[in-house]
Amino acid sequence: MFQSMGVHGPALSPLASLLLDVVLLGCAFWLLAKPTKRPIIDSLFLMSLVLSVSLLRVVMQPIPNVQPVTVAALLVGAQLGARRGAAFAVLVAMTSNFFIGDGWWTLFQAAGWASIAFAGSRLSLVTTSGLNLRRACVASLIAAFWFDLVVSFSILDGTISITEFITYLGHGLPFDFLHMAGNFTFVVWMGNWFSGLLEEEPTLDEIEFAAVNGHGIDG
Amino acid sequence: MALLLISLLLVPAIIAQDTNSWNDSHSLAWEYDFETGYISTTPLFADEQIIVRTSGNSEPAVTAFDTNGKKTWQHLNPSSTSNDMSPLFHVQAGQGECGAWPEMVLVGWTNGLIEALKPSDGEVFWSIQTEVIGWGVTGQFALDGEFVVVPTRQGIGQYCLADGQQQWWTQTGLGWRNGVAVDNTGYFVGDEAGQLWHINRTGAATSHALQLGKIRHPPLLTNAGIILHTQQDSRGTIAVVHSSDGRVLQQFSTGLSPAIPSLRGDYVVTGDSSAIRLLLCTNECEIIDEVPFHTNGEIGWMDNGTILAPSNTPNSAWGLFTFDAYENLTFESLEVGIQGYGTAAPLQYLVGGTTFTAFGNDQSLLRVYSDLDLSESLSNNEFDWGVQGLIFAMFLLIGSSTVSLLNGKFDWFLRTSSLLFLIILLLIIPDLSMQWSQAFDEKFPATSPSEEWNEQWPDTWLGTQIVIFEFDGEEHTAGGFVGHDTVFSLTLTACDELGFELSSESTEIGVYVNSIAGVESNGWEFTVDDSKGIVSADQSIVESTSIIRWYLA
Repeated sequence: MFQSMGVHGPALSPLASLLLDVVLLGCAFWLLAKPTKRPIIDSLFLMSLVLSVSLLRVVMQPIPNVQPVTVAALLVGAQLGARRGAAFAVLVAMTSNFFIGDGWWTLFQAAGWASIAFAGSRLSLVTTSGLNLRRACVASLIAAFWFDLVVSFSILDGTISITEFITYLGHGLPFDFLHMAGNFTFVVWMGNWFSGLLEEEPTLDEIEFAAVNGHGIDG
Repeated sequence: MALLLISLLLVPAIIAQDTNSWNDSHSLAWEYDFETGYISTTPLFADEQIIVRTSGNSEPAVTAFDTNGKKTWQHLNPSSTSNDMSPLFHVQAGQGECGAWPEMVLVGWTNGLIEALKPSDGEVFWSIQTEVIGWGVTGQFALDGEFVVVPTRQGIGQYCLADGQQQWWTQTGLGWRNGVAVDNTGYFVGDEAGQLWHINRTGAATSHALQLGKIRHPPLLTNAGIILHTQQDSRGTIAVVHSSDGRVLQQFSTGLSPAIPSLRGDYVVTGDSSAIRLLLCTNECEIIDEVPFHTNGEIGWMDNGTILAPSNTPNSAWGLFTFDAYENLTFESLEVGIQGYGTAAPLQYLVGGTTFTAFGNDQSLLRVYSDLDLSESLSNNEFDWGVQGLIFAMFLLIGSSTVSLLNGKFDWFLRTSSLLFLIILLLIIPDLSMQWSQAFDEKFPATSPSEEWNEQWPDTWLGTQIVIFEFDGEEHTAGGFVGHDTVFSLTLTACDELGFELSSESTEIGVYVNSIAGVESNGWEFTVDDSKGIVSADQSIVESTSIIRWYLA
């Protein structure tokens, strides 16, 4: 399932690349446009998170298929919800690929990480007592395989038969295990810290709103 | 679990005692960089000189060095444009009915030329021209009294050592790397159609169609029968064949792309893309032991009974195999400072009581090592901070894991052990992925439509390997290649032939081709027999008649 050498998927023209970027950016902004307006600090936080994780991915590029973004997407989805998790995934894929190499595969990477963020938001990885480490570990292992599978679809450009595609997946299995091992290591080392970093503290307005509402009910 | 981790902690200490024993006891004596060309066959030691053949470039040559590494002479044959795979053949001075001859080095070229060179100065003593059908001579010669027996492209001939006069020549099948074996009944040679030929001393030939694949080495004559390691599309077979009637007595299935098997006494060593195997052949053959290794060329027996074989992989370490008293093969990887594909067995020679070992491969670099006193080797040891640091970190992680587990700190145990596991996985992933890909291909061989033969191509390319490069709206094609196992090796040769420069980089997951003929664009992709390449070029296996097509992504 790993994207092997010599297979890049269809090559994109400059116009197609531009359209792809516009579509991905549009998705990200649509996902971020919440019904209720969020404070500017939230947006700044998310942007800094996107930049940090993108930088981490670029720096770790020489290490084959160790993908910190997968675990980050999982935990962002778990803490900040599906919409912001998916937006985070799309923006990280775009930003990091700007340095690593942009192309048709960016779409599949964005889709893979966005789906993982969505799964993270639905798996109850975070409880009142913090990150459920066991559940996060299992989710990160499955996420590695899922992401590699989704990205592998990028080679289907009409010239590859099903048999060849299965052979391609088979060849990549050692790298899938490497992705799993990397994810597991990230979760056990940094899962709790990263999850805590993302934990939303209520603002003063929200505390006041909740308190007033509470009094109203009491009264 | 804790005990297991403690045991793991001790394992490296035990291994450390034995690792790099060859490297510890040998030092580099001298080296020579040919800059271009491949050293595809083992060098020769004759007349106190090390004689090396290089080919696959614009100046195929035989070059001699004195024992200090100084070049003494070079003999060129620019007409031999393909990879020369016929090993240099040493003949001592002698005389027979057709005359006397001096000490000679016989050289068979892919343009069909056979030359007898004097090792003292490289002067040509005699030369003869044999047939060329795409290729000329690629197999190993054999000596029979006052004659040399030469396997040509599609036959076998007997020539007088004194003047090169042809005694007879008999047609056999189309051959490649088709060395000759001699016994008291005549000669044996194999061909690409899988036929084993017997030719008596008057030139009368009979053949046996074994249906076991291509025979690309001199047959080995043992008490159990004739040993052949044949090459099929998706596997190899070690066959024991009756020398009189050609019956197949025994068969052993092996990996892809067999190496040239080698015989010493009753022991036969074979190699292929998956393993080195040791067989004992007395009344019948049995496989005694095998060790995973990737070798496709020559395998050398050293004087002390050890076996040295080049690894035909991009990271190219030589393998040293020792056969112990308990009939076990032990393997040691030798680092001789040359990276790249290799098919030439090392040469071992003795000068003034010191044993020297010469290594060369497709990187056109010859490196000669001498054995050392242990005290000298200890003083020469260099401390590799990177490696030692990594080993120290791994020790620390094993220790931390153990302590964490014993103290019940399960979260820290998970952290340290997962990091250790990740590091180990990263260290083994290049070899692991390569072995996995090969095993996967062997288990599930691809069945795909073949690229069509182009009628404009020369007939001599039929049945050979062909490479097509598509760029600038044109197709650039080179063909007539044989013996390449991977897309990358074949592509390099095709680029050499077409005068294209190929730029590539080695990554953890294989070789990545950056540019061909200066054309980079969005990267290069390839097909093998019209089937898209799905692993890196150095891991994609090619067949003997494959057509590779490179195109821009």
